[in-house]
Amino acid sequence: MIEIKDVSFSYSGVNALNNINLSIEDGEAVALMGANGSGKSTLLKLINGIISPDRGVYKFNNEEITAKELKDPIFAKRLHQKIGFVFQNSDTQLFCADVYDEIAFGPRQMGISESDVEQRVNDCLNLLNIQDFKHRQPYHLSGGEKRKVAIASVLVLNPEVLVLDEPMNGLDPRTQRWLVEFLVKLNQAGKTLIISTHSLELVPELSSRAILFGENHTIAADMPTEKLLDDVDLLKRVNLVDEYYHSHAGKDHKHFHDHSF
Amino acid sequence: MHIPDNYLSPQTCAVMGAAMIPVWAVAVKKIKAEVPKEMIPLLGIGAAVSFLLMMFNVPLPGGTTGHAVGGTLLAILLGPWAACISVTVALLIQALMFGDGGILSFGANCFNMAFVLPFVGYYIYKFIKDSVKTDKGEYIGMIAGSYIGINVAAFCAAIEFGIQPLLFKSATGQPLYCPYPLSVTIPAMTIPHLLVAGVVEVLFTVAVFSFVKKVSPGTIYEGAKEKTKAIYGLIIGLICLTPLGLLAAGTAWGEWGTDEIQDVVSGGSALGFVPAGMQNGFSFEALMPDYSVSGLPEAAGYILSAIAGAAILIILFKVIGYLKKDKGESALE
Amino acid sequence: MRLNDNRMDALNMPEWLLTDENYSPPNDRDTFVNKSILSFLSILARIKTQDSSETGKYGISAIFKVAFTFMLILLLSLSRSFVFVMIINVYLIVILSLMKAEDIVKILKVSLVMSLFTFILLLPAAFWGNSSSTILITGKVFATITVVNILSRTTKWTSITGALKKFFVPDLFILVLDITIKYIVMLGDFALSMLYALKLRSVGKNKSKYTALSGIGGTLFIKSKEMAEDMYIAMECRGFTGEYHVYNNFKFTIADFGYIMINVGIIVLFVYFGRI
Repeated sequence: MIEIKDVSFSYSGVNALNNINLSIEDGEAVALMGANGSGKSTLLKLINGIISPDRGVYKFNNEEITAKELKDPIFAKRLHQKIGFVFQNSDTQLFCADVYDEIAFGPRQMGISESDVEQRVNDCLNLLNIQDFKHRQPYHLSGGEKRKVAIASVLVLNPEVLVLDEPMNGLDPRTQRWLVEFLVKLNQAGKTLIISTHSLELVPELSSRAILFGENHTIAADMPTEKLLDDVDLLKRVNLVDEYYHSHAGKDHKHFHDHSF
Repeated sequence: MHIPDNYLSPQTCAVMGAAMIPVWAVAVKKIKAEVPKEMIPLLGIGAAVSFLLMMFNVPLPGGTTGHAVGGTLLAILLGPWAACISVTVALLIQALMFGDGGILSFGANCFNMAFVLPFVGYYIYKFIKDSVKTDKGEYIGMIAGSYIGINVAAFCAAIEFGIQPLLFKSATGQPLYCPYPLSVTIPAMTIPHLLVAGVVEVLFTVAVFSFVKKVSPGTIYEGAKEKTKAIYGLIIGLICLTPLGLLAAGTAWGEWGTDEIQDVVSGGSALGFVPAGMQNGFSFEALMPDYSVSGLPEAAGYILSAIAGAAILIILFKVIGYLKKDKGESALE
Repeated sequence: MRLNDNRMDALNMPEWLLTDENYSPPNDRDTFVNKSILSFLSILARIKTQDSSETGKYGISAIFKVAFTFMLILLLSLSRSFVFVMIINVYLIVILSLMKAEDIVKILKVSLVMSLFTFILLLPAAFWGNSSSTILITGKVFATITVVNILSRTTKWTSITGALKKFFVPDLFILVLDITIKYIVMLGDFALSMLYALKLRSVGKNKSKYTALSGIGGTLFIKSKEMAEDMYIAMECRGFTGEYHVYNNFKFTIADFGYIMINVGIIVLFVYFGRI
């Protein structure tokens, strides 16, 4: 479904992606990990067609995505419908004056009838358990509520791939747990998930495959999540954890502390 | 509406800058009295917002886009005095850092966009809102205020341009700055503003204001809620326009003879120019009439062109090299 | 750790979410989103690159650069001598040729576009017999735009605002300027993300473009008010009393001396060629 070959990208001379090779199949759930500034967010932007590779090839559903193609509004819109992007900062993703309109924004553009739009919006409100906020203003919701509205506003477009940039950030533990279960359910329903996260505790539940970015903006590892979390030396080498980190992935005990800070 | 340098004479710029000094002083005093402590963050961040609002491309019916100034919008949201300083700071950064709008003409640009625009817009809005007293009245006031505000500002710019050929001419009668008289500058400036820029300003003002009012009405400037005698504000605003009159009267600055004034007053269309160039026909030599006059020795001329030539060659090579390297880069970024 | 199966079943997926969307987007005239994105990108890129600009390369103090740039703009504006304007243009081209290719391209782009615009604007006047002023003003516009851009591309902006102190600009005003530049970046990044969000969810025909625009502009304003409040509290906590001092340690260098000599030369030329 997604094929990335030898892709590099730089922001006005500063390297952000360095020779990335990656392929993601339909229905997979993949976690992106790596220290701050290692290139995770840039890769997510690339997958979503916000930026295009300086070098290398990015293919989605066997179609090459280039700067030229993205300039064609019809092509870009089709891509944006197929790949949904949940931003790290939900504040920046919500621009309507009411939650219902926020979620209805996308489907209203797709030429489906207003009653179908209503159906979809209500389904999404129920799925994310935010029926009560239907007519509240997104701006004044709490962080967790905003995140849910943002996810609903993207999910309502029925994308094939859902890309989430650090979706657990700033959520309380209960909401984090809820979100993990929700994402797993979405994946089981057939949605491809690409999730960047710092949460070493939750990552094994989210996906069985983890991709680790090194500080030189290359992919340092692409392996089963459990195996990656056991390779403490590797995690230290990419500066994701310090010497106090100890792995307990796969072991059957629960922790309430978080080493990721 | 950002006037670049060399369109206005330095004298005009000096007068406009001088006119702004009391405005700025009063504005700072007013803001200090209203929000003594929060002043610094309010002004700094308000200026950032003002700057960014000018960056938005507003969709126009038909698929084209335009930029808004947002002067009336800021005046309604922050109060006219804070809007004045915010737009001033935004214009300063544009002039100094981005080279957008002149350094010398900074005073004139502030006069048009940081003073005339927000004050005229705000007091028209206030006057209509206070006399109609319904939600509808508020929006009518906003539409009228933002539309008239930007058009009055454009009109001021047109006058500043248009008086240049009257006031400033070289010994041979050639205009030194903007060569067009009022009869040209006024329609040239006001027609596009009446038809396009005014519409953009209205659409943007109403759109952003209605969102803020719905989502966070508490953030809107308090003074807009209570009734003040807006009509006095309007009159004060008009009085403040007098520097323009001062300019027209300030003949001491220029080399303006009385006969020329009479020419202007009496001779309607004959605003200074006789289309001599058209009578003589247009030739390339006419473009370069008296450049060799100033007594530059021929040798020095050669040296000067040699230096220029060498520098241009270096630039060419660097640019070609840069463009070659740049070719592969992403178009979106 | 296993998930609770009962809770998962409670999340029943609606039918439409399980089928692939067979969707072909219609055309829409919504270039304003892409155009706004480009405006914001260029502004942000410009501010971010100036922070790393090699101020030290020629080692000229910002104070002299700002002062003589202003002086040059004033002299250009006053001058009536075509030769003087030409000499200044050559001088500026020489300075340009010493700069990085990337900067040259960006400066020339602005000055050439503005000069061309001016030239076209003044062309009708040339037909009316004011041809020499057309050339003269175009030359002045080119020089003025170039000199301002050279200043802003070779000097850190905090040094430019700091230099204003020497021209009796109050410290508090300089603080406001610095805050403005910083928040243009912060709020600009915020607005840019919102524009991207709008773009990514604009998958078809948007019937209410102004609603989307009002959301972004409005949120930007409300956010800025919040930030201003936070900043005020932070300033209070750090003991800000309303007094602020700009410090700059200023050392006179040989480069400064050379730069001053060049500018004295420019003044001499200005006087020599007079205002004829």
